[in-house]
Amino acid sequence: MTALLSVRDLTVTYRTSQGEVPAVRGVSFELEPGGSLGLAGESGCGKSTMANAILRLLPAGITTTGEVLLGEEDVLTMKPGRLRAVRWTGAAIVFQGALHALNPVQRVIDQITEPIILHKTEPDKKAAEKRAVDLLGQVGIPANRAEDYPHQLSGGQRQRVLIAMALACDPDLLIADEPTTALDLMVQAQVLAVLEKLRAERQLSMIFITHDLSVLTYVCDRLAVMYAGRIVERGPSDQVFERPTHPYTRALAAAFPTIGDRESRMNPSGLKGDPPDPAALPAGCPFHPRCPDAIDRCRDAEPPLLPSGPAQEAACILARP
Amino acid sequence: MTEALVVVEDLHIHFGAARAVDGVNLAVMPGEVLALVGESGSGKTTLIRAIQGLTHPTSGKVLFEGKEADARHLPDVQMVFQDPTGALNPRRTVSEIVAEGLRIEKFKGNEAEAVSTALSRAGLRPPERFLRRFPHEISGGQRQRVVIAGAMVTEPRLLLADEPVASLDASIRGEILGLLRNLVDTTGLAVLVVTHDLGLAWNIADRVAVMYLGRIIEVGPTEELLDSPKHPYTKALLSVVPETRGMEQQILSGEIPDPKRIPSGCRFHPRCPVLQSGESERLGIAERCRGEDPAIISAAATREAACWAVKAIAVAG
Ligand SMILES: Nc1ncnc2c1ncn2[C@@H]1O[C@H](COP(=O)(O)OP(=O)(O)OP(=O)(O)O)[C@@H](O)[C@H]1O
Ligand SMILES: Nc1ncnc2c1ncn2[C@@H]1O[C@H](COP(=O)(O)OP(=O)(O)OP(=O)(O)O)[C@@H](O)[C@H]1O
Ligand code: SF4
Ligand SMILES: [Mg+2]
Ligand SMILES: [Mg+2]
Repeated sequence: MTALLSVRDLTVTYRTSQGEVPAVRGVSFELEPGGSLGLAGESGCGKSTMANAILRLLPAGITTTGEVLLGEEDVLTMKPGRLRAVRWTGAAIVFQGALHALNPVQRVIDQITEPIILHKTEPDKKAAEKRAVDLLGQVGIPANRAEDYPHQLSGGQRQRVLIAMALACDPDLLIADEPTTALDLMVQAQVLAVLEKLRAERQLSMIFITHDLSVLTYVCDRLAVMYAGRIVERGPSDQVFERPTHPYTRALAAAFPTIGDRESRMNPSGLKGDPPDPAALPAGCPFHPRCPDAIDRCRDAEPPLLPSGPAQEAACILARP
Repeated sequence: MTEALVVVEDLHIHFGAARAVDGVNLAVMPGEVLALVGESGSGKTTLIRAIQGLTHPTSGKVLFEGKEADARHLPDVQMVFQDPTGALNPRRTVSEIVAEGLRIEKFKGNEAEAVSTALSRAGLRPPERFLRRFPHEISGGQRQRVVIAGAMVTEPRLLLADEPVASLDASIRGEILGLLRNLVDTTGLAVLVVTHDLGLAWNIADRVAVMYLGRIIEVGPTEELLDSPKHPYTKALLSVVPETRGMEQQILSGEIPDPKRIPSGCRFHPRCPVLQSGESERLGIAERCRGEDPAIISAAATREAACWAVKAIAVAG
């Protein structure tokens, strides 16, 4: 099957007064139509940077290299007009921390209708409004709330409006950056159920970003774990979560205990040391200063992503089958 | 039996028509971690502010060591909030930040020594490395540890923590929780921690209290409560924890509960799966669910759920 999205050797470098910050350092992956990829990793490892780079949404002056093929076309070299169309109809994003991104003085229905009218994906205003109400219904917001202003909705409802908005022009790919992190458990479950339903019903492909591995395993077929701007482990999500082969993935999985697991009772599990500074990465494996398994050889060279088990890959010299 | 450090007695806190806290009894013992969980808007932060003495009860009492709680207890009662960055003054050094509590209580001892001890205890070692740094010169996890050091420097007897690790990296979270548990075990500190994260409760709490719409609706020792929840709301909450995937999910539907319009009878009844499935009918309690408020859980309760079905089943079985 041809990939819907194919990211090849993507790098993103920020420029700051302190010098260059290589936030994404060579990431490659493919996503099939209807597939879902979960992207995990701790704060600052480059997840949002990568998500924004895929849709060329980073501000000017930031160096991006590599290829982002959406179907046959490279997003990174597309003409601006085409790019605008692709951003709603090809792939759409739900931004991190965007609960306040809704326009406070515009009814939610009008905020969803706007891109539909702009991109002419429905014949007229009436059809656009009907579609907006449909979309709100699909994310579990009843028609009688469509005329509400954002402040009349709860946080979870606003988050669902943002998802409906991203789906306005029926994109093939949805990128959701921490869409449930600010929500309580019950609302998080509601939002995840909505995404799951859309995926089953419309073959929507998804990239889902969060640092909570258990959420990703729940939503996605495949999982990629990032550390310091690179993918350090990937594979089928159940497998990565239950049998992680990279020591960093193991630490991340242990950080969210399974309720009922006696070993973690009264025994929280963490990782020593501080997250890496992307402007000054350690030599060798960037994880070695914090790695409980590190040996001398780990300081020599940065390990490539290689098979670590059936269908699983890891960037660790000790994780070889 | 040991004396409770904090006793909350039939507490009500209203904001206009909103009954944010609507009848709560609770005791916190010295040397225990009590996790307060529950839906967004159920009154957890309001309850914590009342224990701090920052919000006045509409009725009922909050006693700290037998005396009415008020802000004067502050050296003995300290707070840790969700966002460490917002809690730290960017123009103060770590040492000034940590010393602040001592200055407020006009501490007579050796300030520098007390600050260093607090930093070491909070895992910032050696303390000299951090004393002269500003908040932006340390990592997010280190900032939260500075907040904890600042809270611990006055050797409080009670720490109130509102989502203390929600803003932190997964990898740092375990370290901070370990630190809190350790302080409790070594100093006899009591911690009341508010969280949406049941894994946190599993990791460090002795007891869990579950709030719903202004009331505690279930309380019990952590292992018992999380392994075999009794109240239908607690059951639903546990069923949607992403890692309990074997369980059938009970996603509650219906409008978000509103403290201005607390339902009659059991406040959970409009969303209760037990009532909706006809189980209440079979147990012969459906009328009660809709019309009679289950009794408020007492502060002395070791394991209790405010639910007619739980009572009916206990009587029958
Ligand atoms: N505009 C910018 N200029 C300079 N550096 C930046 C900029 N934006 C992000 N960075 C840095 O790039 C790195 C990656 O940031 P990014 O936001 O992609 O992380 P993330 O994985 O999404 O983290 P989080 O989980 O906290 O959202 C971080 O070290 C961050 O400090
Ligand atoms: N000062 C106030 N004035 C009016 N209403 C208030 C005030 N403070 C809180 N409330 C209301 O009281 C209820 C309980 O709020 P509280 O902040 O205690 O909830 P919470 O359980 O801490 O929620 P969360 O998990 O979202 O932090 C909410 O409905 C809130 O809107
Ligand atoms: S009292 Fe009735 S409505 Fe309330 S939780 Fe129990 S079964 Fe449900
Ligand atoms: Mg991000
Ligand atoms: Mg709160």
